[in-house]
Amino acid sequence: MNAFEQGECEQSEALRDYAFDELSAAERVAMERHVAACAKCGAELQAIRMTTATLRSIPDREIPQRIAFVSDKLFEPSPMARFFHGLFTSPSRLGFAAACLLAAAIVFSAVQRPAEVRTVVATANAQDVAPLIEAAVQKAVAQIRAGDARVAKTALAAAEVQHRREHSALMVTMQENLDVMQKRMGAYTSLASLETTVGGGGQ
Amino acid sequence: MILRAVEDADLITNARKGDVEAFNHLVSRWEKRVFNYLLRLTGRSEDSLDLSQDVFLKAYQNIRKLDDPTRFGPWIFRIAHNEACSMFRKHHLDTSGDAERAEREPAPGVSPEVSIAVNAAMARLTAEQREAVVLKVHEGFKFDEMAEILGCPVSTVKSRLYTALDLMKAELAPVSNRGMR
Repeated sequence: MNAFEQGECEQSEALRDYAFDELSAAERVAMERHVAACAKCGAELQAIRMTTATLRSIPDREIPQRIAFVSDKLFEPSPMARFFHGLFTSPSRLGFAAACLLAAAIVFSAVQRPAEVRTVVATANAQDVAPLIEAAVQKAVAQIRAGDARVAKTALAAAEVQHRREHSALMVTMQENLDVMQKRMGAYTSLASLETTVGGGGQ
Repeated sequence: MILRAVEDADLITNARKGDVEAFNHLVSRWEKRVFNYLLRLTGRSEDSLDLSQDVFLKAYQNIRKLDDPTRFGPWIFRIAHNEACSMFRKHHLDTSGDAERAEREPAPGVSPEVSIAVNAAMARLTAEQREAVVLKVHEGFKFDEMAEILGCPVSTVKSRLYTALDLMKAELAPVSNRGMR
């Protein structure tokens, strides 16, 4: 048997739920009708509201020190990452960026177009070019041959000098050997004459 | 209220991506409420400030675990409730009634008589009853949200609140009636 049935409706949980706006729409309508007709419930409701109003009259205190977090590079996306994330997640921004790039490319291309260059080759006739080319080729060939001749002459001179040194050295060696042989021949001749003299006197 | 909830959801979405500035905006909206909730529980301004900082630090570290951004309020108060309980357990504080609370400096802009009477009435409640009164009367949470914050059934929340209400009606009747005249 609930409070209403016991005639103690002012003690009912429903009345308190109504005081704290916890009833459904239908329940609230029913309770409002009851409170309007029941003096006890009306008084109890008034007491509840005065108590809560007194509690609420004590205001909140200001926080003595504001709380704030400093960005931590480890956990926060870099500004570049945030920029690109914001760019690529927004179709309108992406389209605008693409249009800006295209416009910049067109302007850059127009400004940077290379100037027209005139050269002799571009304005010369074909008939005039062949003799010039032939002359240039012959000149280059002559220069190369002259260079080769100089190199060959230098090498030949060096070889001749080397040959003469070697020849001279060989002649010196041969002369020395000849001198040695002549001395030996002289020595043999003297010895042979001496042997003859000694053998004839003994007879 | 609806517009603010949408904006909070946007801030939460950005904070979950690592946007610290978005989280700071969120903090600026909720820090005063969280601080006053903790102040009414602990009665100490310095402890409440330290706890508030811990609460938002934990919130930042776990923001990705918040599945429903529209439930940010109950979620942040749940963290605050847990931090307060941890502090009480760590310091073995007497939470059943704090005589010093009654002697706290009266709130500015309020009649000293009312301020003292309210402090005295709150001091006579148990910690659980006091918390239920703060969450319902001062913070305006619904019973299902309070149940989520306190980690107990709605029936338990109602029992604590209505018991506290009966006690406070008797304590505050003299000043309440005087205010009506």
